[in-house]
Amino acid sequence: MLHSGVKLCARLLLLSLSWGGTHSTGGPGSTLPPVVSGPPLSSDVRSVVFKGESQVEEVQVVRPLTLALECTWTGSQDRPHNISGFWRKDGSELADSRRPVLLENQQYNLRRAFSITDEEGLGNYSCVFDNQAEVDFILAAPRVGEVRDKPIVSYVGDSVVLQCKMEDTKPQPNSWTWYRANGTDKELLDPEPDSPRYQIHNQEGKTKLTVRNLTEADSGAYYCGAVYDISVTLSRVDLRVITFLEPLKPFLVIVGEVLVLVSLILLYERTKAHGPQPDNTLSDDQAHKLTPDDAGGEVTDSSTRQRKV
Amino acid sequence: MIRKTAMATARVEQPARSPGAERATPGALAQDGALAQDGARGWVMVGALFVCSTLVFGLIRSLGAFFVEFVQYFQESAQAISWITSIGVATQQLCSPLGTALCNAYDAQRVVMAGGFLASLGLILASQARSLPHLYLTMGLTSGLGWSLVFTPMVATVMAHFTRRRTLALGVGFTGVGVSSFVFAPLFQYMLDNFGWRGSLLILGGLSLNIVPCGALIRPTRKKAPPRPKAGGKADNGGGGGGGASAFRSLLRRVYRYLELSLLAHGPFLTYTLAITFFNAGYFVPYVHLVAHGRQAGYSEYRAAFVMSATGAADIVGRVAAGWLTDLGRARLVHMLTGWTGLTGVFIVLMPLASVAGSYGLLLGFGLGYGFCAGALTSLVFAGVPEIVGMGRMVGALGLLSMLESVGGLLGPPLSGYLRDRTGSYITSLVAAGCCFLLGSLILTTLPHYFSWTGPPPPRPPDGDGQEERQDAGAGLLGSPASGSTNGTASKDSDHSQTCLA
Repeated sequence: MLHSGVKLCARLLLLSLSWGGTHSTGGPGSTLPPVVSGPPLSSDVRSVVFKGESQVEEVQVVRPLTLALECTWTGSQDRPHNISGFWRKDGSELADSRRPVLLENQQYNLRRAFSITDEEGLGNYSCVFDNQAEVDFILAAPRVGEVRDKPIVSYVGDSVVLQCKMEDTKPQPNSWTWYRANGTDKELLDPEPDSPRYQIHNQEGKTKLTVRNLTEADSGAYYCGAVYDISVTLSRVDLRVITFLEPLKPFLVIVGEVLVLVSLILLYERTKAHGPQPDNTLSDDQAHKLTPDDAGGEVTDSSTRQRKV
Repeated sequence: MIRKTAMATARVEQPARSPGAERATPGALAQDGALAQDGARGWVMVGALFVCSTLVFGLIRSLGAFFVEFVQYFQESAQAISWITSIGVATQQLCSPLGTALCNAYDAQRVVMAGGFLASLGLILASQARSLPHLYLTMGLTSGLGWSLVFTPMVATVMAHFTRRRTLALGVGFTGVGVSSFVFAPLFQYMLDNFGWRGSLLILGGLSLNIVPCGALIRPTRKKAPPRPKAGGKADNGGGGGGGASAFRSLLRRVYRYLELSLLAHGPFLTYTLAITFFNAGYFVPYVHLVAHGRQAGYSEYRAAFVMSATGAADIVGRVAAGWLTDLGRARLVHMLTGWTGLTGVFIVLMPLASVAGSYGLLLGFGLGYGFCAGALTSLVFAGVPEIVGMGRMVGALGLLSMLESVGGLLGPPLSGYLRDRTGSYITSLVAAGCCFLLGSLILTTLPHYFSWTGPPPPRPPDGDGQEERQDAGAGLLGSPASGSTNGTASKDSDHSQTCLA
């Protein structure tokens, strides 16, 4: 962060350069806007020193600001004194950004200030040295990191809670919004406070959408939007509503299998028990220990008798 | 009389018949009172135990997959959700004596079938839950009660069917736990992705219902109702004049006997239980803390999880190998148990030291050793009970042992968690768990006759009344005169057990 005095000096310096007449004012993020327009933007600097061929740097942008990007390259095997460098945004070269770069202290240096005012200003900025080496700065608003890739499954008549949580390590959004996918469009969900079906509960860094009395039509994609000054980042949550008949089918198959097994086993035991004819006769004093339909009775009873003998 | 003698001789000659013969001759059933010791029927029971271990402990272990879903649906804290499995496990362990008492009083077949039905009912009802307490009652209490009626009776049944290969049978039966945790993890995830937690619980309830056919495989016995105290034969109620008070006392006495509460005064049993409790305290700690410790030591998530998977595989192998080794009869079971538990303790202590030294290979090696030894000791723990309390009281002893050892299982992980929070690293908690094992091994050495080459003299039944009642009580398990002698015990034990388990 620069002090406001230094900031003013830098602005004046850049302004004077622009009046030098070498740059046009067109294109996104090219030069500073004239001093008279808009509230003063905060500013930040990002600089990268690198050796190899390319590097990627992620920059989180939360609110409109002036961002100075600086690349310092140590060069390749042969270090010519003079190479050309330019800036790219989203793959296309920025007009009037190409300039000669001189070798200083065994390094090449490219630096440029960009004014990010709205969502258009976000994207992929690259500084390119001589078509050999580049650094990609990916400017984006924070996204929700933990995204559940599988749909949430719920049942007709049940209720479900869809939630999005922004990690503590990332800047927290100002507020949250919810959308529902409607074909290719996203329809904003804005329920009344006492609506029976939808309820949105926002907390610091967390949002929950409760949907009650689900129907199969509620299936589909829902988006939670983290609202920042600069843009709204969306995160997708899928909902799938099924009826109870779906798990009931495998359940009934298994219950059927169990019933078949149990009947088979009990029938088998019964036929085996009633099989041996010769040992069926028992004396009276032993009979009172048995109940008539006891399958295993004769076996153990005979064994008991045998031991006592 | 002649016929009975013929049966007697036939039984005596009967060593393990081939499976086909058992079915071929109808008369074999009558002679089958010994249930072909170590024979085909026994292995069928081992299969049933395998399925039951899968559906009880394998299921419990894999319930963690539901955790995230519950947190999301009920919007409750992690602690509130983890109470569900805690209640389930606690109920299963605390109600084990109830399971074995019912087994003594009624049919093991009915008890296990009822238990399977209860467990399944709990899960099915849980699928309809609208609030968290509903889950506590269904998944926790009901299913827990069902599980307690299944597990110890099944173990007791398998143990009664084997003598020579008892430990191996138990080991093979218990591999169900390890195998199922490999199978259930992806299966549960698949079910959750397709049916959500409600549908998955419903299907799990259906799967648990498979315990019922396992229970049906147990041979039913002659006893259908708890025996009435015989007039004049027992010390219970002398005549009908005693009325309510003496009927109550006789009920208490029956409860006392079915629960085998006399074991609480039995020194060796208490020593054994104390040792097992210490083992239980340390047993679960590596499962809970090892992955986190690996991450803290700097290994990637995959490498740490791989150590756990390798441990699980070694566990399965250890169960079978130790069972087979023990049954070779070269050494006494208690000695081998001490060996395995001592080794487990050593490996647990070495594991964090290996990761501190920075060697992944050593960590993996020690993890494999720990898994193998931990699996080995599970086969032996239950098999060692008959040697200490005798076959007559084995069933109740299993129930009491399960209940008492649960104290270790309940206290161990939180204690080690506390140690971790105090010291900031998992090394202390893992070392403490290892020390639990070593301490338990030392306690085992204080068992009477530990240092003799042969086993202790057969334990005496409790004095006084109820010899016949004990006979009925023990008979509730099988109705078979399992010869019941453990390795190397004398004929006295056979006499004793013959009057008890039939």
